[in-house]
Amino acid sequence: MKKTVDVSIPLGPMHPCWKEPVRLKCETAGERVLRAEVELGYMKKGIERIMQGRPWQEVMFLAERVCGICSVIHNMVFIETMEKISDIEVPPRAAYLRVVVNELDRIASHILANFSYCYTIEHETLAMYLLNTRETVLDNLERITGSRINTAYMIPGGVRFDLQPGDAAALLADLAKVEEEMKRYVRIFETGPLIALRSKGIGYMSREDAIRAYTVGPTARASGVEDSDLRLRHPTYRELGFTQITRTEGDNFARIMVRFQEVFQSIDLIRKCVDTLPEGPIRGGGLCKAGEASYSGEAPRGELTYTIRTDEYGRVLDIAIRTPSIMNIEACAHFMVEDATSIADVTSTFISSDPCIACNER
Amino acid sequence: MKFLYEKDLRQMKYNILTSTKHDETVRAIAERLGMSDAKLRMVLIRRFDMSLLENLESRWQMGQRHADDGDPVAEELGYELFTRFIPLMDTETMQTIYGDTTAMTREMPFEEAIAKGKERIREAIRS
Amino acid sequence: MSILQKIKNTVRSRSIHVSYVDVGSCNGCDIEVLACLAPRYDIEQYGIYVHNNPREADVLLVIGSVTPQWVDKLRDIWDKIPEPKVAVAIGNCPISGCVYARRGTLTSPPVEKYIPIAAQVPGCPPRPTEILNAILSVAPLIFKDYEEKQP
Repeated sequence: MKKTVDVSIPLGPMHPCWKEPVRLKCETAGERVLRAEVELGYMKKGIERIMQGRPWQEVMFLAERVCGICSVIHNMVFIETMEKISDIEVPPRAAYLRVVVNELDRIASHILANFSYCYTIEHETLAMYLLNTRETVLDNLERITGSRINTAYMIPGGVRFDLQPGDAAALLADLAKVEEEMKRYVRIFETGPLIALRSKGIGYMSREDAIRAYTVGPTARASGVEDSDLRLRHPTYRELGFTQITRTEGDNFARIMVRFQEVFQSIDLIRKCVDTLPEGPIRGGGLCKAGEASYSGEAPRGELTYTIRTDEYGRVLDIAIRTPSIMNIEACAHFMVEDATSIADVTSTFISSDPCIACNER
Repeated sequence: MKFLYEKDLRQMKYNILTSTKHDETVRAIAERLGMSDAKLRMVLIRRFDMSLLENLESRWQMGQRHADDGDPVAEELGYELFTRFIPLMDTETMQTIYGDTTAMTREMPFEEAIAKGKERIREAIRS
Repeated sequence: MSILQKIKNTVRSRSIHVSYVDVGSCNGCDIEVLACLAPRYDIEQYGIYVHNNPREADVLLVIGSVTPQWVDKLRDIWDKIPEPKVAVAIGNCPISGCVYARRGTLTSPPVEKYIPIAAQVPGCPPRPTEILNAILSVAPLIFKDYEEKQP
């Protein structure tokens, strides 16, 4: 890109705050950041190219390895796209179990994002508390699906494992514990004067900018973009009476608080699911057919779109994945960081948008 | 000892543009501008950073939905589309072209003026 | 064994600095390394300190199959780590490329082509306890009597 000043401060690719390699070149005048350029390519695996021409049974496992943090939603959106192509019905019990696992994954992802932010602003106590709570959530994910990270829980026409009665009781008990702990941590975060100094009014993005850059997920919701949560359009979530959380501040503080609030909302959703879990089979079965479809779901970071074309044997001929981080990182680099008052705020602002480089580059 | 970590990014940027959706988007933009795909790809690789290239598709979609409502000249030229949504040119250049084209529409037929304006946009992008 | 070597052995056994580098994975192993920091596993009770600075690291955790940007840079990072040093491959990706070693891929595994690997932790992803166990078992092998073992 065109250079405007001579001094360009590179951040990364190995940086104590980045969990994944990415390089941010900030052009600065004194402390003021004029503009930032993102250099990627550190995580480009070419997963879309690998997927082409493979049967859906293989692509299913590749899809959840697009991103390890939100692997469940990648699995879910891929499977629901295949179901949309082939008109496969999902039994109601399986649809509810999908929501349970998806929300557990969302809680884990949101807590990890807030952990990274607290770690970046050097509030290590809160960060460690959050990381410990995340382990409790992952335990439940493992108990239900059999794996901590890459679960491969959903298949066309249902889910793999049923929720055992003992597991349901343990899940509810753990959720009560998580909710109680999270309430305490949110109070620490909301009332901490030093956290407020590092977070409030930093990395501001207005509603117009959020729409223009097409930000999605918590980043958009913190800037007050209404109707940006795709769970509002998902049939199972509609049955559960899902409502969207929106804040209007548009700064780092709002982005973290939106995630905290969504954790509580997810806990309520799981409770509602487990209480009203319908009886019946968990696998309906069905054959994947030829067709083409585009389908979006709400990942922890925002809108995730799969566009798939298959042939009559269920092989994936062509696939395009649009992940939420593509939009959010771009918006962060070109709107939030731009005209930041200090280079020291660049890292925390970048982390507050919850960047996932593995998603971004695929 | 190595002090410089810069690497040639052109091949990696090209890899981003070869994905299905990005390829479609590049072709759509090239058709809108009346340029060849290869030429536009070269310009994109030279001017945009990698995150902007990844985001090309959603920016193009949002541009089609939200840019240039109302004014027919701006809509035909892509006034906001090519400055704000897909920043191929700077705002000042676009402002001059837009002003000149609006003046020209009063003297000659609308299509002719637009064609001349588009030609100037192509030149500005190529340079 | 000299007295100096004994002191060095004692000090090194309780102060292992770990740095991790992701060279193109799904970042599932990344977060499992992070999970080691959690008070449940409490990596620091063993004297292991995780940060991300190769210049003061003893152990380098390599995650992921190698992407084009890392082909030359991984060696640079390895050269920056002071002796004695050891590299541990976390997950299937640095060993074989895992699901990414297929037709059409942009990666070029394994990591052993670029830097010497002392230990491998297979799994997609491995559990935090396994990562912890690997670091604890491989570090004494390399660091104990390091100066005496030198030719």
